[in-house]
Amino acid sequence: MKEQSVTLRLDGVTKRFGDFTAVEDLGFEVRCGRVFGFLGPNGAGKTTTIRMIVGITAPDEGSIEIFGRPFATGSQDRIGYLPEERGLYKKMKVADQLRYFAALKGVGRKEADARIDYWLGRMKLAEWKNKKTTDLSKGMSQKIQFISTVLHDPELLILDEPFSGLDPVNVEFMIEVVSELKEQHKTIIFSTHLMETAERLCDDIILINKARKVLSGTLREVKESYGSNLIALRAEGTGKVIDDPALVAKATTHSDETIVVMADGVDEQKLLRTLVANGARVSKFEKIEPSLNDIFIEKVSE
Amino acid sequence: MKKFFAVVKHEYRKIVLRWTFLLGTLLFPLIAACFAVVPAIIFSIKGEPTRIAVIDRSGKIAPRLKENLSGERIAARAEKAAKEQLKELRPDQKEKLTRDAAQFQDSFVISGFNTEGKSDVQIRSELASRIAAKELDAYLIVPDNYSDPEAQFDYYSRKSGDLIVNESLKSALDGAVRSQRLADANISEKQLEDLSRAVKWEVKKIDESGAEKEDAGGFLAGFAIAFMIYLNLAIYGQMVMSAVVEEKETRIAEILFSSARPFQLMMGKLIGVALAGLTQFAIWVVSAAVLLAIVAPTIAASGADIPLPSISPLAIVYFLIYFVIGFLLYASIFALIGSMVTTVQEGGQFAFLPVMLMLTGFYFSFAVIRDSNSAMSFWASVAPFIAPMTMPVRVMQEMPPFWQIALSIVVNGLAICGMIWVASRVYRVGMLMYGKRATIPEVWRWIRMR
Repeated sequence: MKEQSVTLRLDGVTKRFGDFTAVEDLGFEVRCGRVFGFLGPNGAGKTTTIRMIVGITAPDEGSIEIFGRPFATGSQDRIGYLPEERGLYKKMKVADQLRYFAALKGVGRKEADARIDYWLGRMKLAEWKNKKTTDLSKGMSQKIQFISTVLHDPELLILDEPFSGLDPVNVEFMIEVVSELKEQHKTIIFSTHLMETAERLCDDIILINKARKVLSGTLREVKESYGSNLIALRAEGTGKVIDDPALVAKATTHSDETIVVMADGVDEQKLLRTLVANGARVSKFEKIEPSLNDIFIEKVSE
Repeated sequence: MKKFFAVVKHEYRKIVLRWTFLLGTLLFPLIAACFAVVPAIIFSIKGEPTRIAVIDRSGKIAPRLKENLSGERIAARAEKAAKEQLKELRPDQKEKLTRDAAQFQDSFVISGFNTEGKSDVQIRSELASRIAAKELDAYLIVPDNYSDPEAQFDYYSRKSGDLIVNESLKSALDGAVRSQRLADANISEKQLEDLSRAVKWEVKKIDESGAEKEDAGGFLAGFAIAFMIYLNLAIYGQMVMSAVVEEKETRIAEILFSSARPFQLMMGKLIGVALAGLTQFAIWVVSAAVLLAIVAPTIAASGADIPLPSISPLAIVYFLIYFVIGFLLYASIFALIGSMVTTVQEGGQFAFLPVMLMLTGFYFSFAVIRDSNSAMSFWASVAPFIAPMTMPVRVMQEMPPFWQIALSIVVNGLAICGMIWVASRVYRVGMLMYGKRATIPEVWRWIRMR
């Protein structure tokens, strides 16, 4: 049972294009029913990795195991893939395209029609069923593309920047839909640049940069490994203490708040006491976790 | 296989359900029919009679001309001409001839002109003013030395562009002058007719076994078939290309590739579009057959020398086979180009390559039309990429030995396998390469890639 709870396992995966290595010795596991954040800057090798997972290309080295078996063409029908760069047939009706995509995933006509109706209803697009793509707004097209990803009721969903092109209201709506899918024990790989969204949705994350894994783990572990030395501080008269390298490694001031990175081995109680002793008027002193955004920027710019 | 058929169905429906398909399918036979029928209709519309004044100082030519332009004479001449060509006239054809002749009956109103005491200049100015006053349409000046072989007949007409009227007038005048010259030389009309009758001439075709058959009038039909194949291949080939480019341009390819094998997708596309093309081709062939059945008697009756082909069902089967062969060969080139480029416009710049190749085949089909048994015809109808245009023409002209057709099908079948293999390798990589057009070395690398 323990073994089966892993949906996807990559081991030592390498992919080269000529002299260029797009992915190097990459290994990770995606557990069943979890939302897995697949993060990294542009050109890190995310799309290449995803293409190998969905069977568009094959790795040069290493192995990919999916649903407990090496990749086989049949696996494709159990994966729903929403690529980052995506589109629809221009002159086709919405329902016809969805039917075609469903057929390509091996869903029968009747079944497909029922699911198309369900999903168009869920996305509040029922009245667009027989319209052509050219009549749709960008946001609507994005939703239609999302429907094409879930029509065949896949066990594993790979969403590459699923919310791009959506307004904030629709982003919230789509987050809700993704959360629903998670509740149905779907495994979701979620690739994005939006660290705030990743933080809200993901259970586990992996960060890759320049073809290699930089860090991975549960969101909790990652954050904790980064961060018991951050303080959000709002105070007056902090000058001397903040500048003391023995206490503070780095201090960055945002509008009315200073984020203080404590020097190694410094206890936050000691810092607070020193501040107060030096006559600072402290109105806020809070131990905080690093945001995923901070970790991302720090790791990627290393 | 299920997915493959899903692709086939998708591509087929995408083309066939488009209104342009319906339009093209209906329009082509309609245009062809127009070319066949409309001129006949236009010519049968009776115009205003042409009023001609004949200036004939000798007074010998004008009466003969008048007689030659009478309805009965025209009908008799047409019937004689038709008999020479058709051997036997069916009643319906004969009836049509009489009808046509009647149309000409009142085409001319001949009037004399009193020339006494008038100079040529005076005559002309007088006639010119009558034409200006719309009392007259034309005048003909018969020279006094009409029997001189170099004599010149001047015809002045306000409707000098009316070729039909001019022709009938000229031939009537020819007859009139000839009769008068004969009369002057004391030779009777009958004597002349017997002496100057055209030789009986019939083109018969002999096939390789030596069996005789009627000449099937292969030139026009061969040309039509070669052109139809060329046109259809060009149109459907480009359709494949734009379908490929659309999927690349809209990035649908990525979704497709995560659902089915690229080879399945490409083959599904080729087969789907081929079926659409076959549908159209079949509609055309059937409507052409129906059209011929309807038009043939009309054309024959008009006396026009347009031999009509007889197409055997076996020939039609071969046409369809060669259409499919040609389509698969060229469509895979178009698919290859489509997956190399980023936009349809860019693809258009490369499309001239397969189109040139097709044209080569089209030109070779002329060699086949001239002599379908020459060595050149043999090689042209076996050579890959060329055979789809030339072999159907050969089949049309004269059924080649079966082994030659078999050889041609095998050679082209191998070429198809090779082309599809190359195209599918370029397709599988090229479809996911966005942003810029692939270079030839890149494409070469994709082909060799594992």
